[in-house]
Amino acid sequence: MVARRAQAVRLLHAVTVPIALSLRGAAQSHHRNSVPSRSDRTHHLEATSLARLWLILALALTASVLMLPPLADATTIYAASSLVKVVPAIAPGNTYSFAGSDTLAFQIESGAPADIFLAAAPLYAERLHSKGLCTTPIVFALNTLTFVAPVSNPAGITRVQQLNRPGGFRLAVGSKHVPLGIFTRTLLGKLGLGRALTKNTVSNYQKASDLTSVIALGSADAGFIYTTDWYANTTRLLAIPVPASAQPLIRYAACVVTRPNVDSTAAHAVIARLVSPKGRQLLSNAHFGLPPTT
Amino acid sequence: MTLRTGLFLGGLVLALTGTFLFLLTPIAALLLQVPPRDLPTLLRDTAVSSALLVSLKTNLIANILFLTIGTPAAYLIALGRFRGRPLLVTLIELPLVLPPAVAGIALLTAFGAFGLLGSTLASMGVVLPFTQVAVVIAVTFVAAPFYLRAAISAFVALDRTQLDAARDLGASEAVVFRRIALPLAADALRAGWAMAFARGIGEFGATLLFAGSVARLTETLPLAVYAQLDVNLNSAVAVGLLLLVISGGVLLVAKLPPLWSPAAPSSTAGGW
Repeated sequence: MVARRAQAVRLLHAVTVPIALSLRGAAQSHHRNSVPSRSDRTHHLEATSLARLWLILALALTASVLMLPPLADATTIYAASSLVKVVPAIAPGNTYSFAGSDTLAFQIESGAPADIFLAAAPLYAERLHSKGLCTTPIVFALNTLTFVAPVSNPAGITRVQQLNRPGGFRLAVGSKHVPLGIFTRTLLGKLGLGRALTKNTVSNYQKASDLTSVIALGSADAGFIYTTDWYANTTRLLAIPVPASAQPLIRYAACVVTRPNVDSTAAHAVIARLVSPKGRQLLSNAHFGLPPTT
Repeated sequence: MTLRTGLFLGGLVLALTGTFLFLLTPIAALLLQVPPRDLPTLLRDTAVSSALLVSLKTNLIANILFLTIGTPAAYLIALGRFRGRPLLVTLIELPLVLPPAVAGIALLTAFGAFGLLGSTLASMGVVLPFTQVAVVIAVTFVAAPFYLRAAISAFVALDRTQLDAARDLGASEAVVFRRIALPLAADALRAGWAMAFARGIGEFGATLLFAGSVARLTETLPLAVYAQLDVNLNSAVAVGLLLLVISGGVLLVAKLPPLWSPAAPSSTAGGW
């Protein structure tokens, strides 16, 4: 890494120093006298075009240096968006890409250079595993859903059963095709509120973070989000109790992505750290639930 | 033809080829993704037709809004004699540089329930989020600057002597605007409108955050594409192609000579 950087710096120097010199040359020849002789003028023109050439070369080289592929020894972690704070704390100094688990799984299936996949539902990791794209998934964290309203609660929602009222509320929920939306429908079903999503005006979101901002800013009267997301927004969002018996089983699964000719030692070490006592402590501090130790 | 000219022309052709390949390869790849005979089935989904309806309705209203209000506003900015015009034009362009999601949050913080104007609106019984009005606002907010920019440039480029000649012949300011300025600027205005339309019909981020994605109410075609991505890639591509056809059609029509022209003198105006 350091060697690569030094190399890039040398390359930049090799380019920028001659530019500075030739620019200075151009400036000097320009200022030498106000009415340049013919030969002076030719010199000036040459210097300017030389400077320009160097500038273009420098820009092209800078661009190519900036576009060098990430170094092979950094572990690339593809993780569900809800893990955005905790994963860099547990495994610092790596390359991270946070998005919806379905999007990440799709990207890995399309050949994205991920070393580790941390999914918000075992389903996605198992899908990759069944295709031979990653190791056997292990569950490393749990989550629950929280029913939230903006802190000022303009719609006056105090109980989740109010969602059964006809004509009801503006609700923000996960789309039925993403984990959050699937969990929300499971929870409503367990509460006998299966029709809540037809009795209210329901807006569907693919990303949990969109949902959180929409409720926090008062577009929606209420909605269902991950409990960990609620803990990150307690100043803006009010939690309304939901019976614990209705909670769906939300499990985060980790696997090491199988990549030909790539050493997976570092990736396995990251997973080991995730399930270590230290990792569990950090997950717990971030309000994730923990699976029983194996 | 000298060698230098030949090299230069060769360079031009190379640049054009590169441009076309770069811009059209992804679109061609999209077309190849779904067998054409599957398209009707994929598009027959009721979610698609309702999204198409929502998109057309909200965009029609948004376009009428920025055309009828934006055109005279741009005319005043272009022809008015006042200081600070660059600042004014830059202010109008600001929504262009907002990332769509930020535009959505900006609209929410202005018109949302807790927004600047939200409580005033609420006291009047107006709730915007999760309504089609909100979609119209989002589309207008992101698309109008494209039109305004083009309209201002079009009016600035007008030949003032022609406007003055009309005034000398006794035309009122309103007549100068309607009979001289508008026809002369028509081509540039249409081009600007086409860009604004294309931006508006593809609007995604601001709509999602401000108007929500409520089926049959605020779910526009771009939101439907995004939702379909989680279900069926082919169906998402099909909706994407539908969007492409609509926008491409509008862009093409905007370049054709008008079948209907507002006033006779446009025959001399369309020259450039």
